[in-house]
Amino acid sequence: MILLQSPSRYLLQILSNRIQNLEKGVELDCQWVEFDDIRYHIQGSVKNPNVLLLSVSLPIPPPETVLFGGLPLGALEAIKAAYGVVAQILDPPRDGFNLTLKLNLSKLPPDEEHKHSLLTKIASVREVVMGAPLRAVLKQLVTRTVPSDLGKPIALVHRPNESFFLVPQADKVTVIFPMRFHDSIDTVLATSFLQEFVEARRTAGLNNAPPCLWSPSPPQELKEAFTDALSANAGFVSFVIFPRHVEGRKLDRTVWNLSTFHAYVNYHVKCSECFMHTRMRRQVESLIQVLDRAKPDSEKAKRNSPSRSFKRMSLKDGNNSLGSRSWK
Amino acid sequence: MDPATSRPAVVIDNGTGYTKLGFAGNVEPSFILPTVVAVNESFVNQTRATTKSSNWLTQHSAGVMADLDFFIGEEALTRSKSSSTYNLSYPIKHGQVHNWDAMERFWQQCIFNYLRCDPEDHYFLLTESPMTAPESREYTGEIMFETFNIPGLYIAVQPVLALAAGYTTSKCEMTGVVVDVGDGATHVVPVADGYVIGSSIKSIPIAGRDVTLFIQQLMRERGEIVPPEDSFEVARKVKEMYCYTCSDIVKEFNKHDKEPGKYIKHWRGTKPKTGAPYSCDVGYERFLGPEVFFNPEIYNSDFTTPLPDVIDKCIQSAPIDTRRALYKNIVLSGGSTMFKDFHRRLQRDIKKIVDARVLASDARFGGNVKAQPVEVNVVSHPIQRYAVWFGGSVVASTPEFFAACHTKAEYEEYGASICRTNPVFKGMY
Ligand SMILES: Nc1ncnc2c1ncn2[C@@H]1O[C@H](COP(=O)(O)OP(=O)(O)OP(=O)(O)O)[C@@H](O)[C@H]1O
Ligand SMILES: [Mg+2]
Repeated sequence: MILLQSPSRYLLQILSNRIQNLEKGVELDCQWVEFDDIRYHIQGSVKNPNVLLLSVSLPIPPPETVLFGGLPLGALEAIKAAYGVVAQILDPPRDGFNLTLKLNLSKLPPDEEHKHSLLTKIASVREVVMGAPLRAVLKQLVTRTVPSDLGKPIALVHRPNESFFLVPQADKVTVIFPMRFHDSIDTVLATSFLQEFVEARRTAGLNNAPPCLWSPSPPQELKEAFTDALSANAGFVSFVIFPRHVEGRKLDRTVWNLSTFHAYVNYHVKCSECFMHTRMRRQVESLIQVLDRAKPDSEKAKRNSPSRSFKRMSLKDGNNSLGSRSWK
Repeated sequence: MDPATSRPAVVIDNGTGYTKLGFAGNVEPSFILPTVVAVNESFVNQTRATTKSSNWLTQHSAGVMADLDFFIGEEALTRSKSSSTYNLSYPIKHGQVHNWDAMERFWQQCIFNYLRCDPEDHYFLLTESPMTAPESREYTGEIMFETFNIPGLYIAVQPVLALAAGYTTSKCEMTGVVVDVGDGATHVVPVADGYVIGSSIKSIPIAGRDVTLFIQQLMRERGEIVPPEDSFEVARKVKEMYCYTCSDIVKEFNKHDKEPGKYIKHWRGTKPKTGAPYSCDVGYERFLGPEVFFNPEIYNSDFTTPLPDVIDKCIQSAPIDTRRALYKNIVLSGGSTMFKDFHRRLQRDIKKIVDARVLASDARFGGNVKAQPVEVNVVSHPIQRYAVWFGGSVVASTPEFFAACHTKAEYEEYGASICRTNPVFKGMY
């Protein structure tokens, strides 16, 4: 997996299971949390198997972002547009959540393909809600409406107490991410990952991708507007989005990829750590082999008897627990 | 306060056959995935073959791609079926992790692709078999803290969790014998007040996979036509759908012979290569499969002690003051205890052994002293398939859980050796 997918796998599974077993509708009450601290809660009853209550809570917004009734700008309209009669927004939402939707499964379109795509859309509820303000700004690019507050940066929440920034201009939108990591190793890896990322953008095949930049200090545009929100231990990444990146069906993907960019980097940092561990294990294994070969024959014979032979330390041998000692 | 303690902990029960994963506080795991990884090895070999080539970038990206190009669970199985570039690797054998590369990748996908959570945001509860070496626990800790940066980790012993599932009484009873029959390992583990009585643990080399193999063998010997590449899977499905525990094997043969129409089932499938449909009969294997636990000699000549005897021996080797409590609370856990009437047969057979012993001792005292009858109780429950996970979910949602975890700070201070032990805590009583 290279990119994070936008529908929540678990939510989609719950919805599809429910549809397939409507007549034996069971009690349903599940809670879970996704990256960036998006929390979900879904409830369903035996009495009324067609109705599900889906609640979502969003990350705690930092002071520089503006929310409307606990939701990002334009989220309500986006929900209505995406789900139509299937979802009804409950006001107020359940305690502790920012949004509660009453899903009525009997109103799903009968035709299988549409039904599935609508279910997938419901499973992507975080994209619809969290991506709403970003989508609105990017849409202005397509329609070429000149934004009223040209050049004035906008802050959007994407992680608990953290935001990213948009600088809308007439023909492009600059998106800026302050990159922060808790762990010192992660910070180092992420910094070099981002530098490589920017480098990779320059290769011939990617001419059409959004131009991207990394810098250790905040870009000029932001300096005046948000002085407090601008500390980042892994630098700042900015993308320049042109109308060609948001045409037609590309809009959805662009919105998703931008609004989860931090999670994407975090995922790949963890992948690189797995990758390095694999290499380290392989290295240890081959070193042990070398050591083993270097042993004089007499010693080998001795070793073989009561105590475990040195070869047992190889990671392939199932007794890998010993390997953990050896690569320290 | 650590904000991670306000979020539900992630509970992952890695088994030989299936991994159960989800969030604490729920009654069911979010996913039950086959514990298997399909890795694309073609990139690796390619780069090795062309080390001298000047095209550094292609090589580099091929290497990187190879590291991301893998699948786990059902997806891994379908990938490996449809294309020969993927090789399957099973990271756990007989309940022990034996391929850490594959295990690390498996966890990575569990976390990022299935649960889709940020591991830095959650405490983790992982499970291990009672036979796991402390070194293996250290290794798990290393991966969890170093690769995934989790804030806290608790490694629980599977049977203890199965007891903590606490479905015996409304009050959670932490003394009992757990009979965990999974896919690759069967353990009989006595637990007293939440502590495993290590010296009395008994293991049996027969588990779910052996039942499947036995059924596969029976069907092959009878000449049922099943495509060979599919026969293991078919045998597994036949086992899960049609097998049951009989009370007497001779009577059962008679029943089948008298009324074949009532007892013989049909399996229908399609050949993987041609897509042509086929069907085969399912007969005696319906009760012979589970019978391997009660009469192991029909499957394996090396190990011939029936499961009820093993359980009895296990309890008899436990401290004398715990034995009555142990007989009273024999808890089943694991997928291979799901056969219909499994608990009845087990209860009857154990009771027989115990009663015989009581009778013998009464006879020895010539009727002057009467022993108090021993209560034998085998506890069964619909959630026993993932009782370990459920127990984990219960335990990890108690407030004491977070305090019992090893934290990242402790790991950094003392190193992986802290993972060797985990305290039994109040939430487990
Ligand atoms: N309904 C059923 N009836 C009989 N067997 C079943 C049923 N459902 C699952 N199984 C079998 O149970 C086994 C899986 O059980 P489980 O998930 O408890 O094992 P595990 O935890 O993966 O393995 P282990 O604990 O040995 O490491 C498989 O062999 C599967 O075929
Ligand atoms: Mg298990």
